[in-house]
Amino acid sequence: MNYLISTLALFLCLHTAQSQERYLTKNGTITFFSKAPIENIEAKNQQVLSIIDASNGSMAISILMKSFLFEKALMQEHFNENYVESDKFPKATFKGTILNFSNISASASKLQVKGTLTIHGESKEITIEGLFSKTTSGIIATGDFIINLDDFKVKIPAVVAKNIAKNIKVSFDFNHQPFQK
Amino acid sequence: MKLLSKKGMLFIFLIIAIIGAFIVYKMANKSHLDISSSAPKITIEATKLIDEFLIDETTANTNYLDKLIAVKGTISDIKIEDKKGIISLKTEDDFGSVLCHLSIEATQNLSELEIGQNIQIKGICTGFLMDVILVRCEIINQ
Repeated sequence: MNYLISTLALFLCLHTAQSQERYLTKNGTITFFSKAPIENIEAKNQQVLSIIDASNGSMAISILMKSFLFEKALMQEHFNENYVESDKFPKATFKGTILNFSNISASASKLQVKGTLTIHGESKEITIEGLFSKTTSGIIATGDFIINLDDFKVKIPAVVAKNIAKNIKVSFDFNHQPFQK
Repeated sequence: MKLLSKKGMLFIFLIIAIIGAFIVYKMANKSHLDISSSAPKITIEATKLIDEFLIDETTANTNYLDKLIAVKGTISDIKIEDKKGIISLKTEDDFGSVLCHLSIEATQNLSELEIGQNIQIKGICTGFLMDVILVRCEIINQ
């Protein structure tokens, strides 16, 4: 009896292992760029966690706000303390689905991702276009999109309004690898 | 009697203005914390660090986020992404480790390290996803 249960359990495990084709990166890159009359501001985060479930094309991304590194220390301080309040909201997340995921191929092709982006505790439905490709070594996703600070209730004081753009360009570059363990 | 001539007043005003401008400039361009010459206030084992995040992430965030900490552990993986080294430190958790993203300078000495070696690394903790993440890391000489 015990033998039967353990064999069954083993088969179950094998089955789930096959159906869960997960691809993951722990060091995805997200950069954002604000173009304003007085200064351009750029920040880079190379510790983004992104997971794609290849069985259904769902995608989940987690971003640590403190991981955005700026050229100037003061910019980083203002970003964390005043704008995104990263002590209160340490993470930004995205949960969504890659539309027509079955069309993915070895050459980079345009696909849309639809889902919910949460920054600064505010959630918004968005659709992002990106270039996706899938080979045996993994799934690569790159692209950029624009976010509006008002949508996420990020307030910029009038004094520095000229230094920071309302619309921020966000670029992403993820190289997902097959997940083993 | 006039204490200062018009010229003298102007001169003093000018000096104050220059000093003011200098201070504003210094503040706006203040440099990032120099990790290699700073001493971390907290030293902790990699396993203990991830445990604290697994048990209570909010408290761990208040304790470690944005702080320079030193982590002790055994190297479980080494790789280089975008010219920067990433060292994983072994923990007792099945999925998570402590991921130390090295500075460009520290990456130059990466070839001296090997998997299985015990090491101490200092860096800024930015939080917990699947792993505890440290950025701008430097290797502490032992």
